[in-house]
Amino acid sequence: MEVLTGWWDDFFWGSLVVVELFFVALILTVLFGLIGSAAKLSKNRFANAIANGYTIVFRGTPEILVLLLFYFGSAIALTAIAQVFDPEVKFVDFPPFWAGSLAIALIIGSYATETFRGAFLGVDPGQVEAARALGLSNLQTFIYVRIPAMWRLALPPFGNHMLSLIKDTALVAIIGLEETLFVAEQAIGYTAKPFTLYLVVGAIYLGFSTIITLTVMLCEKYANRHLEIAK
Amino acid sequence: MSDNQQDVIVQVENVDKFFGDFQALKAVNLTVARGERVVVCGPSGSGKSTLIRCINRLEAHSSGRILINGHELTDDVKDIDAVRREVGMVFQSFNLFPHLTVVENLMLAPRLVRKTSKAENRELAMKMLARVKIQDQAEKWPSALSGGQQQRVAIARALCMNPEVILFDEPTSALDPEMISEVLDVMIDLAKEGMTMICVTHEMGFARSVADNVVFMDQGEIVETGPPATFFDSPKSDRTRLFLQQILSH
Amino acid sequence: MSFDLDLILDSIPQMLMGLGLTLQLLFLSLAIGTALAIILLLMRISGRWFLSAPAMVYIYIFRGTPILVQIFIIYYGLPQLELVRESILWPILREPFGCAIVALSLNTGAYVSEIFRGGVLGVDRGLKEAAAALGLSTRQRFIYITAPIAIRLSLPAYSNDVVSLMKSTALASTITLLDMTGIARTIVAETYAPYEVFLSLMVIYLVLTWMIQRSFGWIEKRMSRHVRSEI
Repeated sequence: MEVLTGWWDDFFWGSLVVVELFFVALILTVLFGLIGSAAKLSKNRFANAIANGYTIVFRGTPEILVLLLFYFGSAIALTAIAQVFDPEVKFVDFPPFWAGSLAIALIIGSYATETFRGAFLGVDPGQVEAARALGLSNLQTFIYVRIPAMWRLALPPFGNHMLSLIKDTALVAIIGLEETLFVAEQAIGYTAKPFTLYLVVGAIYLGFSTIITLTVMLCEKYANRHLEIAK
Repeated sequence: MSDNQQDVIVQVENVDKFFGDFQALKAVNLTVARGERVVVCGPSGSGKSTLIRCINRLEAHSSGRILINGHELTDDVKDIDAVRREVGMVFQSFNLFPHLTVVENLMLAPRLVRKTSKAENRELAMKMLARVKIQDQAEKWPSALSGGQQQRVAIARALCMNPEVILFDEPTSALDPEMISEVLDVMIDLAKEGMTMICVTHEMGFARSVADNVVFMDQGEIVETGPPATFFDSPKSDRTRLFLQQILSH
Repeated sequence: MSFDLDLILDSIPQMLMGLGLTLQLLFLSLAIGTALAIILLLMRISGRWFLSAPAMVYIYIFRGTPILVQIFIIYYGLPQLELVRESILWPILREPFGCAIVALSLNTGAYVSEIFRGGVLGVDRGLKEAAAALGLSTRQRFIYITAPIAIRLSLPAYSNDVVSLMKSTALASTITLLDMTGIARTIVAETYAPYEVFLSLMVIYLVLTWMIQRSFGWIEKRMSRHVRSEI
């Protein structure tokens, strides 16, 4: 354990990066999931097709490939754009944090699309009818009736998506993000104790997963609180 | 009702059953002799299903004794297995094995528990299917049969193990009305052939015509027992009277 | 930005040379992982704490940490331990291929055992009771009634896991293995053409995913013959 002295700070900052990445990707994931499921459920054939293409592509492609594509691809794209303005520019780096969050959000968003779609279909149509009969607009019905009902159904599988999300953040190290794996690699250079250090990274992630699992359990309890009387 | 030890198949002595704090059975005593047909009735939650499920150890009784054919039912797996070989059961939701055909459903237990040959099993199975008048469905999947047909197959399946007594747990409660009589007819035939049976049911017509003894349970206790004539026409207890009023008023 | 068609036509055959390795990683890890999953499942449902507790801990750890970290621990980390270097497993653990198989199998085992457990829990309680009432022993009930039905119930989730496993094989490229992704990365490093190379690789993976899903769809249909009612 003495081998870690001096590295605790760095691991702390690395973990913070993981947390930031997680929340940014989470928000984007929910966004993509809602848009995707809406597109799949809509009567517009074009929207259906795009959403179907989206889920097929991002659920069937290795995550690391998506990351590499986004990172290198966006760097090339940005460089090309920059060269239009300043031909001297050789290479523009796209921050791995944003390439990573976007890529992960698109991947998990494709799973969330399916989850949300199923959950929306599970909403009692009677509730929607009642809302409309009371005079609520489409948008109001969506926000105040559909989404809360859908959320209760979506929560358990979405909890799993969040676990996948936090674990996928580790992959962003491959494209150079300075989070925990990066710190570990540096520490290994100095201490030559790869087992210990990667174990620390594993433990950090295990800690995060546990927090997420517990949080989801609490949320599920809260979401189902109105049902306890029926038990 | 003979108390001759050799003739008694099921003996329930002073049995209590607790689910946590809830007492489902209170000091229940019941004796069933060979060839006797017992109908158990009562409101929901009275403990009737719990009682018969204790008899084949699907539930474990908390105190008291249960003896099947003189053999006491304990936690010992050997005792439990021995009892289950003698006691057959027909469930409200049929519980036919969906991944086996009708005849395979019947052949499974004799093959695994009595270890008889495939040919013997098949012969027995077809015989039992004929007995419940459903032999032409032998190769079908259970999901292709109607509820009434499935329940008759379930009865045949129980018969293949040659039980001393068959327990029926509300066998017709999950059936559409037009299919109830086909199942009751099979049960009446069985009764005529001398099969010992304990039947939890709401079918009072069946009880009146077939039962030797009717048992009324309420809130975990046996309130009253008696042959159908006295039970239906001159019930002794007020609770029995009330129940009969409610159930016979349709 | 031009799209170099020649490059695509050149690189696809090169990447397909890695297909053999990808498939080896997939099938070997799937076989070992499924066998491991069955053992874990039996431990988990055994009712004996000294069997179910270790199984639960194992599953918790392997599902709670990123597979990339698990791969790194096994490939980079284990050689640090003298115990490992001197064990009989060293010839396997010294090689990146062996390490990848070990990591993927251990990881898949954890996920698949939970999938099987879900299948077992999904078997109607009434069926188990009917089998018990007929006199079948606990072991007989499990083999003849629970297992066949549980397997059929597990198929959809299992097929998803096979797809996940296939995607995880791409991570072998991070420990020097030249599977399809590994080859692709070397091509991109030489040609600076991430779009052409990675996008064509993506198509290859999508084809693989499609084949896996089709196969399982066929298996599911066959196993569900008895479920489709003729009424």
